[in-house]
Amino acid sequence: MSPPTSVARLLTRAFAVLALLIVVSGLSGAGTALVQHQTVEQLTDHVLPLQLQNAELRAAMSDGQRGLRGYLLSGDPTLLGNYYSAHADYKTSADDLRGMATGGEGVAIEAQLDRAEAWWAVAERQRQVLPRSDEAARFVDQGSALFLAFESANTGLDTALGDRADRLRDRSETLGVGTTAALVALTLAAALVAALTAVRTTRRITGPLGRLVTVLDDLGRGRYGRRAPTGDGPVEIRAVAAAVNNLAEQADRVRREEEEIARLRGEIRVLNTRVRQHLAVDSAMQEAATGLVATLGAEHAVLRIAAAADAPKMVTRHSAAGAAGSLDALACADIAWLGEHDLWLTADATDVNAVDVGDPVPDPEAAGWRAAGAGPVLTVAVTNGDTRLGALTLLRAAGRPGWSPVEIRLAESVAGDLGRGLHHARLFEQEQRLVAQLKELDSVKTDFMSTVSHELRTPLTSIAGYVEMLRDEDAGEVTPAQGRMLDVIKRNTTRLRALIEDLLILSRIEAGTFRTRRQTVDLAAIAGTVAAEAAEAAAKTGVTLTVDLAGPLPVDADKEQLDRVVEGLLSNAVKFAPGGTVTVTGRADAGEVVLCVADTGMGVPDAEQGQLFSRFFRATNAIHLAIPGTGLGLAIVRTIVENHDGTIEMTSAENDGTTVTVRLPLAGDRVAA
Amino acid sequence: MTVVLVADDDADIRDLVAFKLEQAGLEVITAEDGQQAVEQARAHRPTLAVLDVSMPALSGIDVCRMLRADPATAGMLIIMLTARVQEQDVEGGFSAGADDYVTKPFSPRELISRIQALLTRTRA
Repeated sequence: MSPPTSVARLLTRAFAVLALLIVVSGLSGAGTALVQHQTVEQLTDHVLPLQLQNAELRAAMSDGQRGLRGYLLSGDPTLLGNYYSAHADYKTSADDLRGMATGGEGVAIEAQLDRAEAWWAVAERQRQVLPRSDEAARFVDQGSALFLAFESANTGLDTALGDRADRLRDRSETLGVGTTAALVALTLAAALVAALTAVRTTRRITGPLGRLVTVLDDLGRGRYGRRAPTGDGPVEIRAVAAAVNNLAEQADRVRREEEEIARLRGEIRVLNTRVRQHLAVDSAMQEAATGLVATLGAEHAVLRIAAAADAPKMVTRHSAAGAAGSLDALACADIAWLGEHDLWLTADATDVNAVDVGDPVPDPEAAGWRAAGAGPVLTVAVTNGDTRLGALTLLRAAGRPGWSPVEIRLAESVAGDLGRGLHHARLFEQEQRLVAQLKELDSVKTDFMSTVSHELRTPLTSIAGYVEMLRDEDAGEVTPAQGRMLDVIKRNTTRLRALIEDLLILSRIEAGTFRTRRQTVDLAAIAGTVAAEAAEAAAKTGVTLTVDLAGPLPVDADKEQLDRVVEGLLSNAVKFAPGGTVTVTGRADAGEVVLCVADTGMGVPDAEQGQLFSRFFRATNAIHLAIPGTGLGLAIVRTIVENHDGTIEMTSAENDGTTVTVRLPLAGDRVAA
Repeated sequence: MTVVLVADDDADIRDLVAFKLEQAGLEVITAEDGQQAVEQARAHRPTLAVLDVSMPALSGIDVCRMLRADPATAGMLIIMLTARVQEQDVEGGFSAGADDYVTKPFSPRELISRIQALLTRTRA
């Protein structure tokens, strides 16, 4: 693996190479163009004009020679004019040529001009001789030789210049081709460098970045264990990978903390539920103390509940197994110092002034902390919403970490639930005491009723017995008047006896001591039997008894008690409807057995119907007509019906009659007995 | 002569029963409580005993049990007088060995006829 480079350096390097290539390419192009330009310039400004001027010189010379030679041969002065004109041209041309000469060609030009001057000198002498003379002929030869020398020099210069022009042209051409080739090469090189840079960038930046993105995706999908490779790619990507890992670690830590908090919350919720389930105060307190020590990792927990008007001071404590220190001192410490705050917190119990939240603690409390070997101490108020009931103190050993905000919140929640629980438990205990008192009172009352009724029987037995003996004339003859009086005593004794019997039955039913033997019985059969028994009594008072029972009507009941119900209702109906009609109907209806006893008797006045089932109640019209009764019959009937989960209702109209309807639950699908 | 023991802590009822029995030609001995009843029964070996259930010292049921347990008095006829109508009392009486029971308040006439019926049935 190469040593880490940075993206910036990587890109800078790549772009530097590219820029360098472009600069080199430009410079070389410009250099070549300059050289080429100079070459062309040299060619056009110097070599070619020089060559031209040389040719002109030669032409002037040739014109001069031709003119002179013609004159000498012909003596034609016109031709001599040509000679002069050519001489003038020569001078101009020679001056121009000399002016254009630079460096190398100066020598050659001077040599040529020297030869030309030599010829011109000979030519001047020729001109002065007589044309077509021998002298002239001689000069011709001499002149010819000189002219040939000039011509040779002229040609040499021309050739030299031509060669130089050719060289310059070649150079220019070579430069052009070279420049194009170089430019093509440089462009190719730049393209190659760009391509290489792209590939390298992909390899060294995109690759690691892609892997980083994959890691981020994985983290996002919940694979929290994933980490980015930090030894991969350029420095910047390594830094980003490190940052990503750092964030992932942090997120991991936060998540673990949250999981821990959620777990704690769950445990505290369970604990609160357990605490609430206790109706007894001390067991709820014990549950809370034990649970808090285990859940919040405390060494000790002390729950102090202050004495209240109807409850004593209570202290519950719990220490983790193997925890050092004693809670005795703290358990005895008074909690009145708590004041109005709801929370006291310290990270160091050895320094009483270092209470982080709440007032400084008094000595007994601090001594209690020290005796328990505590470091961080947390005390929260136990309240039922508005009243402070006590305090919950959690202690950790010295040197252990302090209480975190979450732990404080959880402790407060347990204290809150405990407070409400305590409140409820106290209410419940009060209620229990009340119920017990009421039960005792009721039992006393029942006992009293039973005893009184029982004790009344003995004297009643004597009275009834002796009256009967007197009436039977066991003690001698009884006069008619005495007989009537004895009958009155006997009738009232019977009534008193019925009253006592009913009272006794009622008290037994209410006390629950009356034996009930629940079994499935047929109410239709019971009502039929009772009606048959009542038929004789009904006939005596002129009552028409109609029975319509759609049996069987199975009910789960005590047969004897049901007998009493039907008997009570029937005897009432017969009693209050002399000369009328009593109808007994029974049917099953929607899961209920409905028994109706209807009479066409005197009825009950509207205003009194509500009291009909009360004990000792007797309708005013019945009293006026002196119809015997104890006023307990319907009370007994109602009590029995209600004991059998049934209902009883009465509709009555004065002088029209009364209908009593009893509804009892239909006994499953069991067959009636 | 047939001897009948009447045991009841209430003197009026004792007299009433005794009067009716004597009127019917039977010899009557009385006892005021359970202890006395047992002593009288052992001393006089009556043919029949009328025992009130609720008596001081020993209850009628206890007396009945003791008489039945003693071979000398085991064959005695016993009628219980009970002020209670609860079945457990009646059952208690029968399980202790009573031949019959009459609940208070009772009709003297009915009591005598029950006693005579029991005597007649046994003699027969």
